[in-house]
Amino acid sequence: MAANYNFKKITVVPSGKEIIDIILSRTQRQTPTVVHKGYAINRLKQFYMRKVKYTQTNFHEKLSAIIDEFPRLDDIHPFYAELLHVLYDKDHFKLALGQVNNARNSISKTAKHYLRLIKYGDSLYRCKSMKVAALGCMCTYVKKIGPSLAYLEQIRQHMSRLPSIDPNTRTLLICGFPNVGKSSFMNKITRADVDVQSYAFTTKSLFVGHTDYKYLRYQVIDTPGLLDRPFEGRNIIEMCSITALAHLRTAVLFFLDVSGSCGYTVAQQAALFHSIKSLFMNKPLLIVCNKIDLQSLDKIPEDDHKLVMEMKSEATKTLLGLGGDPNDDGVLLTMSTLTEDGVSAVKNAACERLLNQRVEVKMKSKKINDCLNRFHVAMPKIRDNKERPLCIPQSVLDSKNKDAPIEKKKLERDLEEENGGAGVYSASLKKHYLLADDLWKEDSIPEILDGHNVYDFIDSDILQRLEELEKEEGLRLEAEADDDDAEMDGVELTADEQKALAEIRKKKSILIHEHRIKKSTAESRPIVPRKFDKDNKFTTNRMGRELSKLGLDPSSAIERARSRSRGEKRGRSTTGRGDGVMDMDVDQPSNKKLRLRSRSRSVMSSKKGGEIVPGAGFRDVEQKNQALKIAMKSNKQRNKNARRGEADRVIPTLRPKHLFSGKRSIGKTDRR
Amino acid sequence: MPQGDHIDLSQKRYGYRLDHFERIRKKEAREVHKRSAYAQKALGIKGKQFAKKRYAEKALMKKTLLMHDESSTRRKVDDKVHDGAIPAYLLDRDETTRAKVLSNTIKQKRKEKAGKWEVPLPKVRPVAEDEMFRVVRTGKRKAKQWKRMVTKVTFVGPGFTRKPPKYERFIRPMGLRFTKAHVTHPELKCTFNLEIIGVKKNPNGSMYTSLGVVTKGTIIEVNVSELGLVTPAGKVVWGKYAQVTNNPENDGCINSVLLV
Repeated sequence: MAANYNFKKITVVPSGKEIIDIILSRTQRQTPTVVHKGYAINRLKQFYMRKVKYTQTNFHEKLSAIIDEFPRLDDIHPFYAELLHVLYDKDHFKLALGQVNNARNSISKTAKHYLRLIKYGDSLYRCKSMKVAALGCMCTYVKKIGPSLAYLEQIRQHMSRLPSIDPNTRTLLICGFPNVGKSSFMNKITRADVDVQSYAFTTKSLFVGHTDYKYLRYQVIDTPGLLDRPFEGRNIIEMCSITALAHLRTAVLFFLDVSGSCGYTVAQQAALFHSIKSLFMNKPLLIVCNKIDLQSLDKIPEDDHKLVMEMKSEATKTLLGLGGDPNDDGVLLTMSTLTEDGVSAVKNAACERLLNQRVEVKMKSKKINDCLNRFHVAMPKIRDNKERPLCIPQSVLDSKNKDAPIEKKKLERDLEEENGGAGVYSASLKKHYLLADDLWKEDSIPEILDGHNVYDFIDSDILQRLEELEKEEGLRLEAEADDDDAEMDGVELTADEQKALAEIRKKKSILIHEHRIKKSTAESRPIVPRKFDKDNKFTTNRMGRELSKLGLDPSSAIERARSRSRGEKRGRSTTGRGDGVMDMDVDQPSNKKLRLRSRSRSVMSSKKGGEIVPGAGFRDVEQKNQALKIAMKSNKQRNKNARRGEADRVIPTLRPKHLFSGKRSIGKTDRR
Repeated sequence: MPQGDHIDLSQKRYGYRLDHFERIRKKEAREVHKRSAYAQKALGIKGKQFAKKRYAEKALMKKTLLMHDESSTRRKVDDKVHDGAIPAYLLDRDETTRAKVLSNTIKQKRKEKAGKWEVPLPKVRPVAEDEMFRVVRTGKRKAKQWKRMVTKVTFVGPGFTRKPPKYERFIRPMGLRFTKAHVTHPELKCTFNLEIIGVKKNPNGSMYTSLGVVTKGTIIEVNVSELGLVTPAGKVVWGKYAQVTNNPENDGCINSVLLV
């Protein structure tokens, strides 16, 4: 919230002359500057229109920024609106902003007018003089609002120094006659460092400080002193106080000087209290009698005491309005800022009251239910009546009780003292070495021995490595022992078997080796297609070689492969097989049976196919058949789906463009 | 002193820094050098602005100095006898002003007749036709050239209706039509923004008058009812003539002097 009322962010309002300088030089810098008489007139117009438009836009931006940055008195918190009104006069403020706004509108209108005129320009000179007139007119408008801008700048400077009061937070407000010790109290409870002097009206504006009570931060506002006079007669300084009193929901501390050392009698102060009583409505109110070091409350004259009591009863009434206790004595407090007697009591009482009131108001508001149903404070139930006191171990208690002197660690400094003080004692650097044996600490090692640097021959982890080596050795010995056992178990091999074993091992190792080579170059290895790879061709020769290598007899396998792979040669006879060149040796169905089958027509052998017509492009019948087969196959799926095939009638373009475009002239519709 | 004015507060409590006034003096002394450095460095528009500002300052300073010097300089005594000065021995006589009053109205009338055509701008620059008009080509082939567009500011009466475009010879563009003029009253020395009633005479020719073209030197009739001028007979004057003193087509506004 506080950020909303930060008037420090308003940027500097330049004076009228400065604005003109800024805008004109910007126009000069940001728009093109070179133009010649010979240019096309449109280009000339464009050139000058751009200048006018650009200037207008910049003026508009600049003035809008000023208007937008100043707060609108209707939109901000009433306290601030009233304060600004008191300090700067609302009418004047609005007038100044209004003038700026008017200037902005006039500038826009002027620019529009001149842009329209430049459109009718017919020469460079005319366009240019129009531009000059337009810029001059705009600058005049800005020059005219110079005084308003100066006023706004002054206000800005003053506003940026207003204390940042948050109107919605917990606030204590200190008020009373001048010179009754308001600022001293402020200095006591906050760190505001307000100027305190012995004359009246030392404080001329509102001051803000912050104080803590029960871990909450409270804003404390110190106001200038108030005199008892009619509302209209008050000056600006007093009106600041009145504004704060009227518009802030605070706890009010009304300061009373019973000793009269401030120069005003108790009667005058009481009169003031009664005249501004209406401003205390619905606010926690405390009457604070200050300067009791000069005169205590009990010893003041009778009539003064009566006045004080009257005020107290009034204050209690306002308290009653807030639902307080009528017999509450807490509304009248005494203190002395000089001796700091009762200062914190006053602060605490005020804070407490304010807090209670604010909580009460919150509890009454409608929104509280939305919050309350989200709260849950868990209170553990008491399980039984068993006492469960703190448990402190006995040793801790003992050590606490014993309060034995703790042995102080001997420091180097102590050693120095013991051994003759500074200059005599020299600290040993070696005594904190971490070595296996404490006796080694003082041993000295030569740096150079026999012409060698000793450090070159030092191996820091030699012991460790030695250990590792020994371990390895032990493992190896064990394994060997195991192997010996296994060999002893096995049966002796014959010479043949040993030879075969050697062969197998050799082969195995070769395979592994080859595989490794292959693998190592797997990615970048050029691959020879098998078709061209002579070594890996599928030939019967190779098969025989391979099989014999494996120790098998290849002859039957080769024969079989050859018998299958050989294509049938065309026989000499042109007659079909069905005509039966009989070979009685072959086991075939008997002639009779065959003859019994009715045969109306001789079936064309699929193998032999029809005849080849010369010029059809086939080498032989076989090729023709193959081609037919492929064609059939390609059509098969299409026919199944009843799709359009290549044999169907085709109209390539249904609506040829040349027949359907262009105007028809009179008469003919089919000629175009 | 508002809150947060730390410098003031500190000065109030602890006084000035020991070298405060020394610093101020030095800063002032340095100012001259700084200004000189800037004057030598600033170029272009910045330089011009600065020079102008300095020139004004210096002129003002010279003037003030001169004013202070005045006592020591010698001046000529003004020996002229003022108009209507009367020797001491005639001071006690009454002057008769009756005859003057009688002839006042006659004089006024004569003056009006004589001064009718005495105008502030007696001569104007003639404006050629091709400067006044722009040829607008028309027709499908843009071959016809009988149409003209007025390139100067015009006044067009409120009841004017255009002819159909086919027959319109002279076009007076909307953007160049003006209805108001700035009129200066030569005796009151103040300027009003008044409505134009009509164009009385354009010195360049009667055609321009009838077209309502407003150029420099044109006599226009303006509505002065706002000024509250009264005739000797006691009637309120609402139309008066004024002569245009600027080039409206270049300035974007009409400035004129009231003819009284």
